[in-house]
Amino acid sequence: MTALPAEKIDAVVVGSGAAGSHFAARLAQAGKRVAILEAGPARQNNDLVSSMLWARRLKSAGAPVLETGKDTVGYGFNAGSGVGGSTMHHYAVWPRLHENDFRVKSLYGRSRDWPIAYTDLQRYYDRVQAECGISGDHEKETTRPPGAPYPMPPVPVAEQGRVVASGFEALGMKVSPLPLAVTSRPYKGRANCIWDGWCDAGCPIGALANAQTIHLPQAAAAGATLHPDTEVVRILTSADGKRATGVEAVTHDGQRVRVMADVVVLAAFTIQNPRLLLASATPKHPNGLANRSGTLGRFITTHGAAPIFGLHEKETTPGFGAFGGQLLNQTHYDNKNAHEASGAFGSYQWMIANALKPNGLLGIAPTRPDIRGPALTAFMERATRHMISMTGVVEEEAMAENRVTLAKRKDAHGVPLASVAYTTNEASAALWNAAIAEGLSVFKAAGASESWNAPRASMHIMGGTVMGESAADSVTNSYGQAHDLPNVFIGGAGLFPTAGGVNPTFTIHALAARASEYLLKHWSSAVG
Amino acid sequence: MPKAELPHPTRRELLRAGGIGLLTFSLGGSLVKMSPAEAQAAGVSLSVLSRAEAETLASLCERLVPGSREAGVVAFVDHQLAVSRTDCMLMIRYLGVDPPFTPFYREGLAALNAAAQSRHQLSFSKLEDASAEALIDALADGKIEGWTGPPPSFFYFVTRNDACDVVYGTVKGFKALGVPYAPHIMPPSEWGEPD
Ligand SMILES: Cc1cc2nc3c(=O)[nH]c(=O)nc-3n(C[C@H](O)[C@H](O)[C@H](O)COP(=O)(O)OP(=O)(O)OC[C@H]3O[C@@H](n4cnc5c(N)ncnc54)[C@H](O)[C@@H]3O)c2cc1C
Ligand code: SF4
Repeated sequence: MTALPAEKIDAVVVGSGAAGSHFAARLAQAGKRVAILEAGPARQNNDLVSSMLWARRLKSAGAPVLETGKDTVGYGFNAGSGVGGSTMHHYAVWPRLHENDFRVKSLYGRSRDWPIAYTDLQRYYDRVQAECGISGDHEKETTRPPGAPYPMPPVPVAEQGRVVASGFEALGMKVSPLPLAVTSRPYKGRANCIWDGWCDAGCPIGALANAQTIHLPQAAAAGATLHPDTEVVRILTSADGKRATGVEAVTHDGQRVRVMADVVVLAAFTIQNPRLLLASATPKHPNGLANRSGTLGRFITTHGAAPIFGLHEKETTPGFGAFGGQLLNQTHYDNKNAHEASGAFGSYQWMIANALKPNGLLGIAPTRPDIRGPALTAFMERATRHMISMTGVVEEEAMAENRVTLAKRKDAHGVPLASVAYTTNEASAALWNAAIAEGLSVFKAAGASESWNAPRASMHIMGGTVMGESAADSVTNSYGQAHDLPNVFIGGAGLFPTAGGVNPTFTIHALAARASEYLLKHWSSAVG
Repeated sequence: MPKAELPHPTRRELLRAGGIGLLTFSLGGSLVKMSPAEAQAAGVSLSVLSRAEAETLASLCERLVPGSREAGVVAFVDHQLAVSRTDCMLMIRYLGVDPPFTPFYREGLAALNAAAQSRHQLSFSKLEDASAEALIDALADGKIEGWTGPPPSFFYFVTRNDACDVVYGTVKGFKALGVPYAPHIMPPSEWGEPD
């Protein structure tokens, strides 16, 4: 195991997932001395065993998160653990946010605005897209905001996709290829995807743009060191409280160590970032670091997953394709009031024709918990051949009262656990209902012999360290730089003031690309 | 996704760290790598569950997912409860239940047996078909009088998934369904181990 730096370094990065690996690569490539501290274990591609059972070892095994609201954010399901973070079992559905997602307050008088517009992120989306590779068809994806064409041809469409597409078309709606950060052809030395549907267990061949494939190797090549099994327990600050000075961490063998650095990049995923900031309070920052505004921990959001399933007389071979799906529909996306009549607000999209393995939480068997015994055997025989599926990604509104606080209970290192109070508001619940109704009608129109949906579950976690124009009501500026501690940069979807209705990781990367560029340009003023 | 409202576990479990994910069962004093089905057939000793708990789990799971007893659901659950949390392959690990997970199973199985006793003065595994199925209906609906374990429908969901895992989630299980396994990396034992 590489020794932790004993001397002060330029930047310490907390977390090795999407945001952390991206920052680490850019800073190290610019000549900075960088160490990445990762709470979870080391992982090699060989650990990505193709099995829905083995896949579960990639899930979070850190301190539990207490969920106390009416609904949950599903931390256990949504968080990753170990080198690469949750990118290692993510499905790489990478659409862009749309123009209206950045201006929810100005356009609709609700929630919050982002401190940037789509145009501010466009070139970073383009840059990340070229670096990581996305398969898609920008012309067919007519709802996509402007930007460079996708660098790889679209994902192939198989029978499952064709069947569901026919349902959309029958109802006058269009589908387009799903933008996937998966190789539809060999790309920059990476093998092409073979559409075997094992993405949930992790893609060991480098076809999917996870941290281990893209940014961690770049960071390592540029000299950044990676320290697995090293959990950060506190962010350290100077006596005057004006700057962070480094972090305190606990290593695999239980030792408490300090890594001192000019810059701290906090990329420990949504719930853990505010937890660490809250738990690092000092007399100068009595309510937690970077919390002068009182906004830290607030505006936690998620996406309501709207899974639709059906059986079709055609053989659909649902076990194959990418786990994330084959096709996309965003018909109502650009009008967040499209379902106003039912009290709904927000945007949603459909990820169509997800690969379905027989078992696993997102597999075939749990979709019909009501079936058991010999009827289950018959169902499984049929469904593994004839099933169709799609998943709605439904925006949930950002509400101040949905928040992370510190619990009284502490983890093994004495750090208070995070407690998350989360309740979906009525407008978001109504939007989920509207999506489900639409989804079921699409499946009917596609000729499904029966169709059903799963209950709402949370997918992706955003907010808690939101960015904004003003230090009075947000945690960071648009670069993720903490208003109160200019040498602390936060990465990840925790920065999103509102959730949009698309998967977050492409945007996490675009923000990290923009922020690391800014940091390198303004290094001395950030460090002070 | 069902939400578990569990009492905080009262018991710390003795965790036996398994070699990274390999399923190992103690047999005759030596550690042998075996599939859960083989372990079941060999009457291997249990690490965590009692014989009575194992029998209740097996008979519940067999009714939920036919073939799960023989496929080794007891050995699977018992072993996964014994390994470290990082190596654990049970679905419960990401369903929002506070670890350790043994109390969840132990209390659920005890509550199921208590319900069978109160209804029929028999343990669950001794119930006749109709009585057992009626009890499972009530379990799935979350309506069992006097239930004191984890939320009953959630317990149903979790055990049903464990049973599905052993029957459908292995190379053999895929084969029986006629679904090509087509792995990138073959699990190193039957579910685990080379075939
Ligand atoms: C099943 C699944 C499917 C998904 N599919 C998609 C998809 O198709 N498209 C999409 O856009 N997104 C998807 N996501 C979401 C995506 O994985 C996340 O948006 C992304 O990985 C978040 O990046 P991050 O850098 O913020 O956090 P992560 O990638 O999770 O990395 C955070 C890292 O920080 C580490 N850490 C936490 N606390 C500490 C600490 N105290 N000290 C040190 N290290 C710490 C964690 O162990 C983890 O490795 C999916 C997620 C899941 C779970
Ligand atoms: S389907 Fe493609 S991206 Fe997914 S695991 Fe297989 S090769 Fe990798």
